[in-house]
Amino acid sequence: MKKYQRVFLGIFLALSSLLLAHSLFAEEKNPAQASYELALDRYNHLKHLEETQSWDEYFAQGNDYRDQIVTGVQKAIEATKATDALNIQARLLSWQFHKDQQDAFAEQALIDLMSAVSEYANTTGNVTLIKEVADKLSSYQEKRNSRELYKIYVAKIINVSAKDEELLKIAENFYKEGNLELSETVYDAYLERLSKAAPEKLIPLLTGIAKQFAYKDEGNKDTLYAEKIFQKIEDLGKKEAFDEHLMYSRAFNLEKAKEYSKAKDIYLKLIQDFPSTLHADEAAYKAGLISAYVLRDKEGARGYFEKLTSREKDISPQVISSFYQLGLIAQWEENLDKAKEYYTQLITLAAGNFPETTAAANQRLKEIEEKKALDYNTKLFIDLALSAENIGSNMSKSELKASLYNLQKGQEAKISSEAYLPASGCMQIELQYLWSGDTGKNLPSVMAPSFNASYNEPGTKLIGLIVSSSSGTVDRNLDILDVR
Amino acid sequence: MLAACSLFFLTIILGAASRAKPTVFIKKLKNKHYQLIVERKPYIVKGVCYSPIPIGGNHEYDWWSDTSKPWMIDGKMMQAMGVNTIRLYQTHENTEEVKTVIRDLYQNFGIRTILGDWLGFWEYPCPFYGDKRFQDKVKASVLDMVKNYKDEPGVLFWILGNENNYSCLGAVNPWSSDEIDKEPDPQKQKAMKSEVYYSFINELSREIHKIDPNHPVAMGNGELIGLDAANKYCQDVDIVACIIYRGKTFGNLFRSLRMTFDKPILLAEFGADAYDAYLKKEDQNMQAFFLESQWRQIYENLANNKEGEGNCIGGTMFEWSDEWWKHAPDNPDSWKAQDTESNWTNGSYYFDIKAESNKNMNEEWFGLVALSQEQEFGMNKRIPRKAYYVVREFWKNPTLEVKKKVKK
Repeated sequence: MKKYQRVFLGIFLALSSLLLAHSLFAEEKNPAQASYELALDRYNHLKHLEETQSWDEYFAQGNDYRDQIVTGVQKAIEATKATDALNIQARLLSWQFHKDQQDAFAEQALIDLMSAVSEYANTTGNVTLIKEVADKLSSYQEKRNSRELYKIYVAKIINVSAKDEELLKIAENFYKEGNLELSETVYDAYLERLSKAAPEKLIPLLTGIAKQFAYKDEGNKDTLYAEKIFQKIEDLGKKEAFDEHLMYSRAFNLEKAKEYSKAKDIYLKLIQDFPSTLHADEAAYKAGLISAYVLRDKEGARGYFEKLTSREKDISPQVISSFYQLGLIAQWEENLDKAKEYYTQLITLAAGNFPETTAAANQRLKEIEEKKALDYNTKLFIDLALSAENIGSNMSKSELKASLYNLQKGQEAKISSEAYLPASGCMQIELQYLWSGDTGKNLPSVMAPSFNASYNEPGTKLIGLIVSSSSGTVDRNLDILDVR
Repeated sequence: MLAACSLFFLTIILGAASRAKPTVFIKKLKNKHYQLIVERKPYIVKGVCYSPIPIGGNHEYDWWSDTSKPWMIDGKMMQAMGVNTIRLYQTHENTEEVKTVIRDLYQNFGIRTILGDWLGFWEYPCPFYGDKRFQDKVKASVLDMVKNYKDEPGVLFWILGNENNYSCLGAVNPWSSDEIDKEPDPQKQKAMKSEVYYSFINELSREIHKIDPNHPVAMGNGELIGLDAANKYCQDVDIVACIIYRGKTFGNLFRSLRMTFDKPILLAEFGADAYDAYLKKEDQNMQAFFLESQWRQIYENLANNKEGEGNCIGGTMFEWSDEWWKHAPDNPDSWKAQDTESNWTNGSYYFDIKAESNKNMNEEWFGLVALSQEQEFGMNKRIPRKAYYVVREFWKNPTLEVKKKVKK
């Protein structure tokens, strides 16, 4: 043990002893409180020993401490009623202890805690304690129960909080604190209050909330909650509620929530309602990518890409990339003349302005000229996306995500993947990662489940991945990034 | 008259003999808990998986014929620790050598042996459990084992396979059959494989019971995967021998088993490694911490502990001594050094989960005793790790933290 650790441990033990002495002294006045405090002290101390890996005391005293926790909590519960705050605190500690121990008693302790809090809330309960229990449940990922208690907590706040504005402020504050679960519960209660309000009043409020929760690279977000609010706006039936920015924001949010089919619909609606939007090319290109590689609709995809390539001026990065996608599909179909035509057109139109896409097109052209097969990873990715027999490869057994989705030129984003494999115990399955598409200037290794991508040209980037094991393909996946 | 009386008493004696309790059996108590009974007394399996491969050897090393008899040194140390059982994954072709090991351990140290068979799991190209010829071959191997050792007093019971059930899911040692290949739905294929596999285990169990009524049959199983199928097709096994690596405890394992396949459970492989893959140094405390916690939960779920499920009969920790060949089984040079590179990842062992690629499980560092390059008694010197002492103390005084029921 290092010197500073010993000093820290010494201070901690001294404080623990003082607290224990205080607990014993207090026992004369309030035995239940003293029992609880002793149990709490032992619980914290045991956690501290584990965290600081102070094993000598852990192994020597651990069983005694556990016994004291159980006994102390039991005494406190037996001496109080569910209407007492101490009873709730003791039950919370009991559940935490068993949850940490991952033992068979955790389940019953949670049922007892929830039932006691419910009774407590019906009487003279103070809202702070209810929130403390909900926060603790939430931190242990007991989301269903924490949500239930947050609802009780919010109902109590509403009773005492007369003004809507105050409720809004509370929701915003919880959002800023990062407690999105509670923030959403308060927003829901707030919106429920305003359910009879005129759409003109509701729409700006809903828009603000949706923007707050919608996807962004930095800050708090909950894409599914954001879409729930976007849907509320749509349900109000006011066409003017969505301007082009809000509609783009909704589509982008859906795309990041991997709700691709609906994202495509909103992108298309964006183009339809706002033909001159700045996001038109991006929206059309993404509709093409989603159609081909998610929805397996090759002809639909071809339609969106062709619409972009038919343009004679304002050549955007997405127009260039559409030529590439059309070339790829043609090459995959072994219509090599057509593929060559697309790649050649791309290179001519790019005129040196899109070096990365041009380089990819040149590589494909070389394959065609040298009568070589389409790059293995790329071909396999398209096979799995478009061939009917690969319908089982549906992106449910893997995940692909990026640390950033809106990049500047040269900025790096970490692309990471995870595969959900059938159980294999301690027999580790070696996986291979076949990356394809716009992987940027860093070529990821076949053994790498993640890599850092960065790009030198703007545009919408598609990254493809096949995860495979010795017994075959595990799954495919894709992700879309935008370089602005 | 005398002849008639003699015949009468002979009939009674023979009848009583035919109804005699087996040497080792599972008793289901009135409270539905399970107890392993050995020679009329309850028996808690306090065991270790045993594979005494010396430094420089690999799994093919023939330790059975090692003249320095490593099991005698190990047996003495095990006895001092409180170990009463070893688990062997597979027997050896020389039956006399196997008997010597079983007898030496039992007669000298009171340590019993659980004997197992891999069921052809590691055969090349793969274990064709749907193939009759493959089944016959495996069956012959298993029944030979039973016939050879069933009369050894040191034998505790049999374990069929280890984590073979994972092969039904297709990720490990995948196999199939013509009939299964005709089924287009992958989920149905898995169900068909499970039916084939667990039906085969059931058949083996029946055959073993016919020739050896004195020892239960356990089925090795990775986690609880596939036990819904076992419940349908494999009711003749007596014990489920689970391989579980869930970190600090086994979670809801005992209750889940009760719900899916109500059989007694032996934790046939569990434990923790003693190498911190993040800090890149040995950490004996980490291993001791996990093992003590795991044993606490095993004891909570033994029979007649009213707070637990009462379906656990004990466990065999993985493993008695380190094995230096495991990280690179095909590279003999690496068997002479203890590899510190991790083979697999398991987030439940959280102290070193921040290791590169989260690979934190060091396969060569699971021993309760470490091996030294130094020779002692003609073999690598054994150096007990902290877990050896911590588990020993737990077994001496298995304090359970939860003794009283909290008021509802």
